[in-house]
Amino acid sequence: MNRQGSRSTRVLVAATTCAALALALAGCSSSGGSSSSGTSAATRLNLTVEDYYSQPAAAAYDNIYNACAKQLGDTVTISHIAGAALIPKVLQQVSSKTMPDVLMLDNPDVDQIAATGALSPLSNYGITGDGYIPGIIAAGSYKGTLYGLAPAVNSLGLFYNVTMFKAANLKPPTTWAQLQVDAKTLTKPGQYGFAFSGVNTYEGTWQFMPWMWTNGGNEKSIDTPQTAQALQLLTSLVQDGSASKSVVLWTQADVESQFAAGKAAMMENGPWNIALLQGVSGLDWASVPLPTPQAGQKPVAPLGGETYTVPQTGNSAKMAAAGKMVACINSDANQVAISKAVAYVPAKISVGEQFAKTNPLLAPYVTVVQTARSRTGELGNNWDTAATAIYTAEQLALTGKDSPAAALKQAQGQ
Amino acid sequence: MKTRDRPSTLTGGQATASGTPRRTRGRRLRQDRAVTWLFLLPALIYIALFFGYPIVKNVMMGSENYTTATFYTGSAPWVGWANYSSFLSSSLAGTTFLNTAVFTVGSIAGQFTIGLAIALFFRRRFPLSGLLRSLLLLPWLLPLIAGAAVWRWILDQDSGVLNSTLLHLHLVHTSVPWLSSPGMALYSVIIVNVWIGIPFNVTLLYSGMQGIPEEHYEAAAIDGAAGWKAFRYITWPALRPVVTVVLVLGVIYTLKVVDIILGLTGGGPANATQTLATTAYQDSFVQFAFGQGAAVNNILLVVSLLFAGLYLRVNRRASDE
Amino acid sequence: MRLTKRRQATSTVIGIGLLAVMLFPVYWMVNTSLQSGNVGASSTLVPLHPTLAAYRLALSQQGGDIVTSLTISCGTVLLSLAIAAPAAYVLAKSRIRGRSVILLALVITQMVPGIVIANSLYPAFDQLGLLNSRLGLVLADTSTALPFAILIMRAFMVSLPGEIIEAARVDGAGLVRTFVSIVLPVSRNAVITAGLFAFLFSWSDFLFALTLTTGTNLTPVTLGIYSYLGGEIQSWGPVMATGVLSALPAIVLLAFAQRFIAVGQLNGAVK
Repeated sequence: MNRQGSRSTRVLVAATTCAALALALAGCSSSGGSSSSGTSAATRLNLTVEDYYSQPAAAAYDNIYNACAKQLGDTVTISHIAGAALIPKVLQQVSSKTMPDVLMLDNPDVDQIAATGALSPLSNYGITGDGYIPGIIAAGSYKGTLYGLAPAVNSLGLFYNVTMFKAANLKPPTTWAQLQVDAKTLTKPGQYGFAFSGVNTYEGTWQFMPWMWTNGGNEKSIDTPQTAQALQLLTSLVQDGSASKSVVLWTQADVESQFAAGKAAMMENGPWNIALLQGVSGLDWASVPLPTPQAGQKPVAPLGGETYTVPQTGNSAKMAAAGKMVACINSDANQVAISKAVAYVPAKISVGEQFAKTNPLLAPYVTVVQTARSRTGELGNNWDTAATAIYTAEQLALTGKDSPAAALKQAQGQ
Repeated sequence: MKTRDRPSTLTGGQATASGTPRRTRGRRLRQDRAVTWLFLLPALIYIALFFGYPIVKNVMMGSENYTTATFYTGSAPWVGWANYSSFLSSSLAGTTFLNTAVFTVGSIAGQFTIGLAIALFFRRRFPLSGLLRSLLLLPWLLPLIAGAAVWRWILDQDSGVLNSTLLHLHLVHTSVPWLSSPGMALYSVIIVNVWIGIPFNVTLLYSGMQGIPEEHYEAAAIDGAAGWKAFRYITWPALRPVVTVVLVLGVIYTLKVVDIILGLTGGGPANATQTLATTAYQDSFVQFAFGQGAAVNNILLVVSLLFAGLYLRVNRRASDE
Repeated sequence: MRLTKRRQATSTVIGIGLLAVMLFPVYWMVNTSLQSGNVGASSTLVPLHPTLAAYRLALSQQGGDIVTSLTISCGTVLLSLAIAAPAAYVLAKSRIRGRSVILLALVITQMVPGIVIANSLYPAFDQLGLLNSRLGLVLADTSTALPFAILIMRAFMVSLPGEIIEAARVDGAGLVRTFVSIVLPVSRNAVITAGLFAFLFSWSDFLFALTLTTGTNLTPVTLGIYSYLGGEIQSWGPVMATGVLSALPAIVLLAFAQRFIAVGQLNGAVK
């Protein structure tokens, strides 16, 4: 009897164990995610990602792309196409229908490419952009539909040389009037008080936006007194010698070079310079938001940052995977990783505020981007015409060829 | 000594060896004609394949409303002369044409005369001349992006090494705004373009000079003609075909220059260095108005064609001698 | 021109002086590439703390690219000369009908902006599977070099005296034989010069390299420079180092080629 009992017990135990194992296995395969379902080779996709980063930033992004792909169970082929060459390349790809699966676009370009019809709405992949800075959602949207989402953003601020300010017993300026006075005070042979970029490209326009917008100017019509006042501020800085006449040629990289060499006491530039500045020995610097016309105002600065989009490639499986990829790149953890790597700030408000606590150098920018505005927000894919008019007018005024008001009028009319 | 070119020296002319039967000569001629075209054919096919379609497409684009959307949808509505009139009636058109003319004339004059002088200098044989001649090619070999950046730093008004040197030597009293003044910028850009173009001229002219037999100079020296006279009566006439090509192609290449200007000034300050080529580029790739850009390009093509016509006219005259 | 030893020495000195002026910007480029710290508008006249860091970086990343560029450029030279030389000869010496039209067409090809050609080649090469291939780049670069090579060689060949060709024909040589054994050797300067420029065009081509590759496996050295210039940060040190490094192999080859440009090859050729 005992032996029979033990035998049936053993059978029972064995059966229970088998059942348990079977249930466990079944549970595993159903919760294992899309990667292990099916197990046929067809589910392992190779996605192409295209962006314009150069080293060393490219390495940081490569890690993120690879990690995201791994998470999805796919592989990724990465193309870095330097800077200005990206858009012509993208257009070639648009016309030959050979677009990448995930395409990075600088936020002011999103409208241009979305207008062609070559991008797919991100809502198709469940991406809504909730909790993000309103400006970057506006930048990544065309006619109200979200096409591109940026994990990290940047803007403009005022960098100043702490040593020089201490020596002159000054505090960083918070108003335009203070800026003019401080710049003049800190100008001496071999050193300018203020440096900015007024170059004949969209970079010059970008640097003009905070002055224009904070004073109430609008890109729809630049022929207004508010915009003229902003232009007058910059013109007067050049005219009284506080800023070099070469600002009409300087890019933001040139401006940083001047500041780092101690040839400018203050500069208007963005947080991406922080790594470079930290590496300059003997330079004690800090950054604050840009001065505003009156005390107590919040500066309205332009929003920079690159978005990720999903082009229409016609391959729905790949597009779905690309959508997941874009979502992954925009995850909270990746926003922090990217921001740390290239000195941007996270695009999601909550993530940004947390980030500011542990990254004091970037904290001023977390505040600035919350009220920052996108360049294409109002004019969409007609932004380029306005941007050209703005830098044209700026050049005319800064070189003294025209008064600010006349320059703006002429540029607006072109 | 030079003799007159007989018709079709490829075949040595009709009056070859006497006594050759007419039939053999005829066959020979037909063979020659076939081989002649065979020599040309690969080149013609290549040109047609690589240039035919793009040229036609670009000419047509000048009359289309070609936007970024066209890249995707393929549709570009016909607008006739609208792009052309829009450019020609803009306030910038006059400046652009003038800048283009000044830039081209200045560059060619500088490149050619300095190039010729240097080529003549290198005709002498002295130690290291070969090495020096090769090193002279460096401005052309180095990437334009690097060259433009370096020149921007050299010409910087405040910290550029050129102004520092000039001030040090007391040749000027205030720093010169080479690139930051609308009045000076174009001339500074011309200087840089001349610098880049000198190697091109030197190499071609030097090569051409090397083809002139030494005997000609020796014979002339015996007659008492040396130096300037030798140049005027021997070197220059012998160089004419090469000079023609160098000048005409030089003009065409200069008309096309975009990278150097954009790298130095971006077309500014205040459009002081904006040429037809830079306008066309910016229209297409900065403003995404491709139809407009193509229209300006076509205008540039017409200007170039005028020079090309000149080339053929001079060429025909030269080969008729 | 033979000079006295003294005049030779003076000429060398003048030559070096000339080069020093012409190549000062090149010196500045090298100077920048050796500077540590922030390079750009604030570079000093001589590198105060010279460092080879930029070169090390450039070599480690661009070394293979130089070989790629060499392969493509040599291929371009061979292909261009093979097609251009016969065509140049015909256009120089024969009175075929349509010669003027062909010449005009060649000159017109030089007026077309490169980006227009590149945009048309991209879809075509994509369909033919020529993207990311050395052959594709050789074909594209040849299209740039070919018309120029024809025009230049033609200009040189126009001055060829007819007698030497007639002499060959009288001796019964066919057209091809005349071309290969008489015309080509005598046109040595022309061929070498044309080849030199074909190499230069191909070596310094950026546009086709950018358009016809997808940035993954095939990168000629011109693209390498741009990998330091994307986005906002511009690292000029490695850019200058790469620029200098990329020019060196080309200079060596060109110096080698220039030795073959001989004086007056027609000396004594016309009996």
